[in-house]
Amino acid sequence: MNSNFINSSMDRAIFDPADLPETPTAKDVLTFAVEMGDLLLRNGGEIYRVEDTILHILEAYEMENYDVYVLSNGIFASANEDKEDACSIVRHVPLGSVNLDKIAQINALSREIAEKKPDIRYAWNKFFEIKESKLHPDWLLNLCGGIGSAGFCYLFGGSVLDSVIAFFIGIPLALFLIYMSRKKTSKFIMHIVGSAYVTFLSLFILFLGAPILYDKIIIGCIMQLVPGIALSTSIRDLFNGDYLSGAIHLLDAVLTAMCIAVGVGAMIALYYFVTGVMP
Amino acid sequence: MIATLIIQFVVAMIATAAFAIIFIAPRSEWLTAAVIGAIGWIVYYILKDLNYSNMISCLIATFILTLMSRILSRIRKCPVTMYLLPGIFPLVPGAGIYYTSYYFIMNDPKQFWAKGLDTFQVAGAIALGIIFALALPRKLFTLFK
Repeated sequence: MNSNFINSSMDRAIFDPADLPETPTAKDVLTFAVEMGDLLLRNGGEIYRVEDTILHILEAYEMENYDVYVLSNGIFASANEDKEDACSIVRHVPLGSVNLDKIAQINALSREIAEKKPDIRYAWNKFFEIKESKLHPDWLLNLCGGIGSAGFCYLFGGSVLDSVIAFFIGIPLALFLIYMSRKKTSKFIMHIVGSAYVTFLSLFILFLGAPILYDKIIIGCIMQLVPGIALSTSIRDLFNGDYLSGAIHLLDAVLTAMCIAVGVGAMIALYYFVTGVMP
Repeated sequence: MIATLIIQFVVAMIATAAFAIIFIAPRSEWLTAAVIGAIGWIVYYILKDLNYSNMISCLIATFILTLMSRILSRIRKCPVTMYLLPGIFPLVPGAGIYYTSYYFIMNDPKQFWAKGLDTFQVAGAIALGIIFALALPRKLFTLFK
């Protein structure tokens, strides 16, 4: 089974847990532990949580001399270093979007493994169930994009009219973001186009003569794009001593902010070009 | 004043709940996450109103909401992130990042530095608030079960 596994996430299509032997080899256990960590990291788990999870699983299945090093976009792990069956895994995990439900479920599963030490095939099946689970339908996410935009527009000082407009601009933005991230388009293109779209529409409504605070609408909608969480996480990582992870998140946040600025700036320049006044 | 506070609380609840759903929180935690976010926002709002700086207000608000997240995570047996992430969303310097990059593009260095500094201070204050509250010994929270 191990030959199937080439530096990518495990899938039921290429791997059936039932094929595993009664007593798993070190490689099997390490693969499972790193898979758990991978799913956790991919869905926004914190660095220390990922490290703890992998270590607990390795301990539960009686590995020796193991160690793990987790970055915000990668996992390095090894086990049984001084034995015949020494093994190690290096895994690249792209920065992804947050999925709290999966974090909670993985957490529960790893706790169960640490306490009851179940059969690894059972654990694999549980793992695939979590990996394939899908909690909310798309329409709900789109609607929440609109509601969230409207809410933050109001909290940041917009009027009720601004919030209503932000609601209607926010829904298509959420639709666009979900679609683009499924297509695995470059995150930077996604942010430039998204912020340009928001700015274009709010400036267009301003151009039509509506009495709106256009920047409040933009901020409300842009809460869906802005890397506020990434920025706070990065500084938290730095304080925790995870300098590399902190730097990765910080760079990610700064570049994302730049992309948003490019999108917004281009549309403001266009407005200036068309009307001759700054908005 | 009271009316404004109530409106702010309710709107913050709705906005936090919306982003909790976008972060795929399970249905059972929508309300709890929303209340935590709204409390954080209201603490921030009141402190801002009392003329405290952005940094101090964010620090205290984050500290309180992280404490509450820890208590809730013990009671409801969920990871702290479940409440912490949606909870800090209203405080996170989204608008600051926007204005900073806006002034960068608009070639206004003075405003850019002012906004950029403010954004980093707020992000730092949030991080510190979380770290302080997470550093409290676990024993304190064993009361809640």
